[in-house]
Amino acid sequence: MTDVLIVGAGPAGLSAALASAEQGLSVRVLDEFYRPGGRLLGQLHEEPDGKWWNGLAEAATLCEKAQQAGVDIRCGVSVYNVAQNDGMWQVFTTEGVFEVPALLLATGASETAVPVPGWTLPGVMSIGAAQVMTNVQRVRPGERGVIIGINVLSVAIARELKLAGVHVDRMVLPALSPVTSAAGNPVQVMESLLRVAHLAPSPLLRLGSRLLQTLGLQKAGLHFLPGGGIRMWGIPLHLRTAALEIVGTEQVEGVRIARITPEGIPVPGTEKIVPADFVCIAGGLSPLAELAAVAGCSFAWLPSLGGHVPLHNERMQTTLPGLYVAGNITGIESAKVAIAQGTVAGLSIAADLGRLRDPEPLRQAMEQVRLVREQAAIQFHPEIARGRERLQQMYEQAKAV
Amino acid sequence: MFTQDMVICRCEEVSLGKLMQTFAAHGCSARELKLRTRAGMGTCGGRTCRSLILALLQESGQEPSHAVPLGYQPPVRPVSFSLLGGRE
Amino acid sequence: MDRRILNHPVLGPSAPGKTLTFHFDGKPYTAMQGETVAAALLANGIRRLRVHEESGSPRGLYCNIGHCFECRVTIDDQPGVRACLTLVKEGMKVFSGKVLPAPLKQAKSPDASEKQNSHFIAERAESR
Repeated sequence: MTDVLIVGAGPAGLSAALASAEQGLSVRVLDEFYRPGGRLLGQLHEEPDGKWWNGLAEAATLCEKAQQAGVDIRCGVSVYNVAQNDGMWQVFTTEGVFEVPALLLATGASETAVPVPGWTLPGVMSIGAAQVMTNVQRVRPGERGVIIGINVLSVAIARELKLAGVHVDRMVLPALSPVTSAAGNPVQVMESLLRVAHLAPSPLLRLGSRLLQTLGLQKAGLHFLPGGGIRMWGIPLHLRTAALEIVGTEQVEGVRIARITPEGIPVPGTEKIVPADFVCIAGGLSPLAELAAVAGCSFAWLPSLGGHVPLHNERMQTTLPGLYVAGNITGIESAKVAIAQGTVAGLSIAADLGRLRDPEPLRQAMEQVRLVREQAAIQFHPEIARGRERLQQMYEQAKAV
Repeated sequence: MFTQDMVICRCEEVSLGKLMQTFAAHGCSARELKLRTRAGMGTCGGRTCRSLILALLQESGQEPSHAVPLGYQPPVRPVSFSLLGGRE
Repeated sequence: MDRRILNHPVLGPSAPGKTLTFHFDGKPYTAMQGETVAAALLANGIRRLRVHEESGSPRGLYCNIGHCFECRVTIDDQPGVRACLTLVKEGMKVFSGKVLPAPLKQAKSPDASEKQNSHFIAERAESR
């Protein structure tokens, strides 16, 4: 009989599986993707110390360890419903119904779009799609691309694309609209890019070796383009240009751009069409918590964590007995945090099932989450610590009821 | 300045203009917006446009509540009737 | 023009694998073992995977990880299969998504409705 079922074979899910299995639990992991590793698979970036974080290799290592510990990993399986039944969790999947005492949801995140007219054309894809196509499937998204949306994630992926020999013509902002009010505003975008280095507004004046050092960008060859742009790793970031429309009949043929004021208003007479055969839409990430919602979890709206987050504590327990969460579903952070959280969840489950012989590994795992978070060089959002505090408060309030 | 024709819900091809007009006419919640326009009710289960609908409402002054506003109904993936227990 | 990234400065050379043949809308294409249908089609320069079932607007992959369902195609008679989650198999027959009939929407007068409905019924009878 399976002790714990884990939905999601990404860094959090696999780490949890390993931690539980090492305590002697019988573990099953399900993932909708055709191979395990989750979004770790597409990751490939240079750390501040100059080493390369190779997501494919990390995923392979985690997966192998888990399998060696006896974890059963099944890919290509979709979970469409979960429900409590007599103290157990029923998990409804495309390969049958499973019943387990402990259920971990490690389903990660989905991308938030920054739409512009024409974004449904073939050849327009999310920035994550381009990352997976390039680094996992090893197919170029196209010959000449434009990235719409400038943020920490899209800049990192633009570099990955260039590294793989994919030509990124330029990065621009989306045209301002009620659904792109922050992403289309140059001042806000710049602040958001530089907030990671804890600099105050008017950042252009403070740009210098300190910023480069903090961001680990010494080799980025950062220099300024005329008209408010930056060239980073050879890729032009046009912070004063907006994509007004993606054009093409059967598929992407180009992007109509215009210069914009610091507030994001298009300047008349500056429109032109740049050719492209692929376009990436780059907003942010948001926890993918539909199964937690279906299970009846309580949530908190916390923009610093990416949106609606299922209430949980530092032991990765939700307010529902036997239901746990780990990874980006708990709030958008890094793969390293996901791994640390997964380990906590795995040990936490073992403890709750009365199978954790020594409480010390669990305590250490929880400490490790805090350590990893502190050491993170780049955060997607600087308010994460505060968001987590609020989340803990709301969890305790919900439990007290 | 921005295009009202721009698609927000890709699955049901609900435009920004349609959403804004519906909201202006009824001053409604995210859930009611979904029921009136079909945005969020397509094949992807609202996964792609959910955050856009919330952003639109935020721009109009409606801060999302802590509860998930666009409720998820199982099955959260399209499944065949045969899987749900029907005959082949 | 090879759209495949055969050599990567950090990831190294792509794993050597078999070539497979599959069909898309009746035409044969080559895939590499381990490629998804979406990736194999893109490697062959194909971006349009379906049209919107009502409006007919062209669509292709968007998220590439199974969330958005934009890449849904018919594979070996099974409709609604996500091309980005499905590995190519030798001899696979893939069909792009088409506009679906909407007889109730098209009907304007009782006469027109009869004509539209009988057309729809005839189509269904044919496809059985």
